[in-house]
Amino acid sequence: MVIKNLFSRRTASALLLTAASATGSQLASAELFNTGKVLATGGVSMIDGAGGGGITPWATITGYATRDGINGDVHYTYANLPNYALNSLGVAVGFWDRFELSYTKQILTTGSTFNTVGLVTDTTSSAGGGAAGEATTAGGEGDESTNPGIEPFNTTIKMDVYGAKIRVFGEAIYDSDNLIPQVAIGAFYKDNENTDLLKTLKANKAKDWEAYISATKIFFPINTLINITARYTSANQTGLTGFGGPDGNEKEIRPEISIAYLLRKDTAIGMEWAQHGDNLTGESVQLGSVDATEAGPALQATGLGGLSGTLTQDESDWYDAFIAYFPSKNLSITAAYAMLGNITITPEQHGFYLSLQASF
Amino acid sequence: MKSTLRNIVISGAIALATTNSAFAQTGQTRTLPGLDSDALEQWGGEEGIRNWVESLFYYIMLDNRINHIFREFGNIERQIFLNTQLEQLVLGGDVEYQGASMEAAHADLGITVTQFNAVVEAAYNACERINVTYEACNQLIAALAPYERVIVTK
Repeated sequence: MVIKNLFSRRTASALLLTAASATGSQLASAELFNTGKVLATGGVSMIDGAGGGGITPWATITGYATRDGINGDVHYTYANLPNYALNSLGVAVGFWDRFELSYTKQILTTGSTFNTVGLVTDTTSSAGGGAAGEATTAGGEGDESTNPGIEPFNTTIKMDVYGAKIRVFGEAIYDSDNLIPQVAIGAFYKDNENTDLLKTLKANKAKDWEAYISATKIFFPINTLINITARYTSANQTGLTGFGGPDGNEKEIRPEISIAYLLRKDTAIGMEWAQHGDNLTGESVQLGSVDATEAGPALQATGLGGLSGTLTQDESDWYDAFIAYFPSKNLSITAAYAMLGNITITPEQHGFYLSLQASF
Repeated sequence: MKSTLRNIVISGAIALATTNSAFAQTGQTRTLPGLDSDALEQWGGEEGIRNWVESLFYYIMLDNRINHIFREFGNIERQIFLNTQLEQLVLGGDVEYQGASMEAAHADLGITVTQFNAVVEAAYNACERINVTYEACNQLIAALAPYERVIVTK
């Protein structure tokens, strides 16, 4: 009986201890994790993974944490273009509404885009090949310098994007009695895996950093959010087709603008514009040791003369029109129409874009 | 020369002080861009504001993150009465606000941004509850937003 009592007393105190430690850890997590921002004010995740709009990073810190804690999100974006599909999957954490860290993996499938290039490589290397007609097969077993980085089917571009952002000054939401925006500076480090393909496209580098400064402000009397960003970069198609061109890798400042109209506390519509560079504009593609333009005679000889003209690259500014819906602080859904214009050798790359962000 | 400088500094300080006291509820909040000239009418005047303040406190008292603060402050009816005056005033209504400045009223409460945001969420819920449009609601949000700087002290 005594033993039984003793046992139950011990169990009870053990239970109490468990309860106490559970409360303790709950308190600790309550101090660290925070979802105190007003719905939608954390923004969504742009394709490079930073908190912002769709293609532009904003000065807001991602997630729902106020300066009292930490919060983060996972995000997935899919853009379906005529010749490409962009998949962007990543994670981002905001700390005390002061700084954020992000990592995103971008996978761009290119469908049949580079099949022509692969065909031409094949043809030119055959035509200019050895005396015995020992043609090297496309993207074949030849030495690395002649590997165009093009797969027989659906060449896929992969890029890792690491991001960091720090809020410098200003208050985007509550300072409605002045025009001072919230300002943040940030940077991305982008590591593109497709070094061979980027050589074919004549990009200068496959890995590079870019920096930006963003100013964001909500104007409640007109239900509007405005963000202006200046990005210091040499990226071609945000780095998906490398950095710089045949003339070198000189960075320049490119402006980006997002305007969002707040329809309801959980819905916003808007437009974005991001200026892009022209490092590769007018450039042909490099086929092993020869330029596609120089390969003209060889192509003529094989009856493919018309191809050299279609292998000229171009790059357009990016535009999008979006609607973002925030059913709860745990989820946002952004649908957009992306107008990306010329991408490498393919024109008119416009299509739908869907982005999901889940906050924890 | 020195005294001129001192005068400038003093008058500057006085100007700053007056700005601050002007900020303490003597008229419409000067937002940029400005509030709609008919902001208060969009709200249905005094009655609409009163309905909203009652709804606001309904949602606040249901929110476990913040209800204890208001309960400790006491006299919810008095808070509703004063808020009805204040909200009309900041939207441009010709009323007198009889309460303490927002700064004085919240000085010792140690309010966090998280708690302030919780009240903003309650404010939007209250707008929906009384069928004030989102656009009209944002007129009031804009008019009250600058108080964040003096209410949040932690």
